[in-house]
Amino acid sequence: MGLNLLPIEMDDIRKRLDREPNEIEWRVIDAVWSEHCSYKSSKIFLKSFSIDSPNVIMGIKDWQDAGAVDIGDGWAIVIKVESHNHPSAIDPFNGAATGVGGIIRDIISKGAKPIALMDMIRVGNLKIRKNVWLLKNIIAGIAAYGNSIGVPVVGGELSFDDTYNDNPLVDVAAIGIVRKDKIKPSIVDKAGLKLVLAGLTGIDGLGGASFASRKLSGEDEIGAVQIADPFAGKIILDVTLEIADKVEAIKDLGGGGLAVAVTEMANGLGAIVDIEKIPLRVKNMDPADVIISETQERMLYAVEEKNVEEVCKAFEEYEYPCSVIGEITSEPIIKFRYFGKDLVSLPTNALLEPPKFLWPIKNVRKNVEEKNVDLSLESTIYTVLSHPDLVSKEWVYSQFDYEVNTSTVVKPGDANGAVVSLPNGKLLAIKADGNPDLCSEDAYECGKGIVAEAYRNLATVGARGMVAVDHLQFGDPKKPEVYYTFVEAIRGIGEATRFFNIPIVGGKVSFYNENSQGKPIKPTPLIVMAGLVQGKLLKNRVEDSSYVVLLGYTRKELGGSLLSKIFKVPSQVPKVRLQEDLLSSEVVIDAINEEKITFAKDISRGGLAASLFNIIVHGYGVEISTKSILSDTDNVVENLFSESSGRFVILTNEPEWIVEKSRSKGIVASIIGKVNKKTSILTIDNTDYDLKTIVNNYFNFLEEVIGNG
Amino acid sequence: MIAIVKFPGTTCEADVYKALMEAGVPTVIVKYKEFDPDKYNGVILPGGFSFGDYLRAGSIAASTETIKKVKQMAEEGKIVIGICNGFQILVESGLLKGALLPNLKLRFISKWVSLKVIRTDTVLTKGLDKKIIRMPIAHSEGRYYVDDVDYAKTNMVLQYCDENGNVSEDTNPNGSLLNIASIANEEGNVIGMMPHPERASFKLTSVDGTVDGLILLRRLGKWA
Repeated sequence: MGLNLLPIEMDDIRKRLDREPNEIEWRVIDAVWSEHCSYKSSKIFLKSFSIDSPNVIMGIKDWQDAGAVDIGDGWAIVIKVESHNHPSAIDPFNGAATGVGGIIRDIISKGAKPIALMDMIRVGNLKIRKNVWLLKNIIAGIAAYGNSIGVPVVGGELSFDDTYNDNPLVDVAAIGIVRKDKIKPSIVDKAGLKLVLAGLTGIDGLGGASFASRKLSGEDEIGAVQIADPFAGKIILDVTLEIADKVEAIKDLGGGGLAVAVTEMANGLGAIVDIEKIPLRVKNMDPADVIISETQERMLYAVEEKNVEEVCKAFEEYEYPCSVIGEITSEPIIKFRYFGKDLVSLPTNALLEPPKFLWPIKNVRKNVEEKNVDLSLESTIYTVLSHPDLVSKEWVYSQFDYEVNTSTVVKPGDANGAVVSLPNGKLLAIKADGNPDLCSEDAYECGKGIVAEAYRNLATVGARGMVAVDHLQFGDPKKPEVYYTFVEAIRGIGEATRFFNIPIVGGKVSFYNENSQGKPIKPTPLIVMAGLVQGKLLKNRVEDSSYVVLLGYTRKELGGSLLSKIFKVPSQVPKVRLQEDLLSSEVVIDAINEEKITFAKDISRGGLAASLFNIIVHGYGVEISTKSILSDTDNVVENLFSESSGRFVILTNEPEWIVEKSRSKGIVASIIGKVNKKTSILTIDNTDYDLKTIVNNYFNFLEEVIGNG
Repeated sequence: MIAIVKFPGTTCEADVYKALMEAGVPTVIVKYKEFDPDKYNGVILPGGFSFGDYLRAGSIAASTETIKKVKQMAEEGKIVIGICNGFQILVESGLLKGALLPNLKLRFISKWVSLKVIRTDTVLTKGLDKKIIRMPIAHSEGRYYVDDVDYAKTNMVLQYCDENGNVSEDTNPNGSLLNIASIANEEGNVIGMMPHPERASFKLTSVDGTVDGLILLRRLGKWA
């Protein structure tokens, strides 16, 4: 039968039922209790994220398909992050495309109109041809789906590491907008509602949830991958928003198919589903397969009987299948019947309450022997700044229809964060951040670090973070060293979000990400944060003779940095001093509102050097004096490539104002140099470094590596 | 009144509506099955992926009853504008000559481009002072091709160019014949264009503050 359930879980369900489940019931339990759907190894810790915040309308406590926060004027935003890692490793186009479709359906499940997508892609070394193929098709898949449904991809991340050679990470986040009083639940609270299913059910994605809850076997697993139909997705999107007022609850059919959707929607009540009423894409489908099929572009609605006709009529207009397949019952049992015969009859509570696991933890981190960095400045600059993580991602975002909706104010590639306009006239900034290199050194500091980085990134456009969702991607949780990093990351994220008072309203966990030798990926938690522009918006521009000001202390903590990764420099892991992130972000937001700055970039990947390079690619030169950097080290390489937290590079014509403003807030800033017209030249302590080839590499790298190949 | 036709899979109808409102042009979004040509002075086929662009971009929409009605309007001299997927529908249905082939690089391309204004005798460009305008493009199949090069030369409305108006291979984003971004019939009432004027109609979302799309769309006011 190929079940993923552990013997202890099988005993547990036998005890609770007081009988042996039949074969179809085993498959239902396997899907509903899969790690993917039940969060059995993570739920205990995820609950620690819950904080009371007056803005939260639907939070992590509510455990719904997406979270929602109040943004004023009667409007709410809905936010969600998901991944499609396992399917994308096998069929990158469909895996990535269905990831987009799935997250969009989570947003419309709340009755919200999707207004922005972000994609965060991590693939292996591009020197391996398979990774080029994976990347090319992942991007094509996202483009095919996102473009077809008319939701702009406004930003994201693309980075590379050998750890993802067999297991790419394909994460998608989406934001929706809805009137606060129109938010729909995904769960019901009364019996008698009709279950209405839109869409055809087919044989793709069979057992996808359990597939995603184990490591890739390397065998033929294509049958577990869903096939994307963006046109159907667009119809589902348009019609769901049209009928949202006529239904009591909306639920996306995702992992675990109908088995999971019906069980979760019943929410402690019961349900009866008549399988013969489900419209099928293929003839003679096994009724058991119908229950767990993960065919995309399907939605489940709980509808008052009197509204059923009107709901299905809206679908008929598009010749899209819509049928009543069952109803919610007061008896807390989930029943799937086939021509009157019970195939599955399981208590709702047994399904909804799988055993929760706390796996052993073990810290295998070694103490680092600090060494002095002894690298030639010139070759270090060239090597680090040519790294694929730092190149322009235009090859990627130019394939996305990021202008659709006429609401993308700050476009991909323009700044650290994307900005979209909202119907109430406010501007919403969005950013996603992860840092697997830091996380593999110290998952706790990294958990704090990615929250702080997202917060800083929003500040660069003038926004203050207000809500976040998290995505936690790790190897096999049963391995103590993996589970240790998972718990550490959660503690870091939890601590930082409490510090910034940013509620985490939802998230996703993806375990069992390993390579073909069973080696886990680097721990890759990521944070997607959104916030409103506080007053004025900064659209970055570079001008000749602007002063370069560095905000914050630079520290000789190179652990997890790009420099340390490339040159294997053993070094301390940066401590994330959240206070510095908060204060420096406030200085940036104030400076934007006082119109004192023209350009802001937080210091993260590649350190100060990468941030200065970001100015240079605008067609200018930059000269700096490293003696002006406020730092705990005199080593120039350490100063240029440290990725320690809490810092920004800003361009201004009133540097003294910035320095004074910083001091008044309790943080440091110093004038380190000026912008000049010497195109592509970085001048460090009066020595010129010609970066022309690196600038060319920046603009052309992806095109050349991937091109039409 | 100008009708904006929504096919299943159309994605830009609300954007065009918003831009026409900004331009002060009376307009309404109409579902394709409910379209009555006698009610309107003009029709816009907006961008998107009508019927999923399955088979070929715009081909299924081109064979609907709706397009027969659009043809009738064109013959009556009413305004017919196809933007992006709408342009693809116009060539698929024979309302405009030529074809829109897959981009040379065989992938979707989204970017702001400069456009040289060639004809100023169409409903969108009549009396236009600006010689070079800016708008975004976003398509996979935008490589205009027609056998009859003379036809193309006489009827092209906009050409992809650089910021100084130079038309060259370097400024051709998709491999279009003669860098053609837009073409119209001889009378100038039927226009197809790959660039999106509705996306160049708002200062807030413009890359450089220009709103050249709005300048074009405003011209529809006197016909609407």
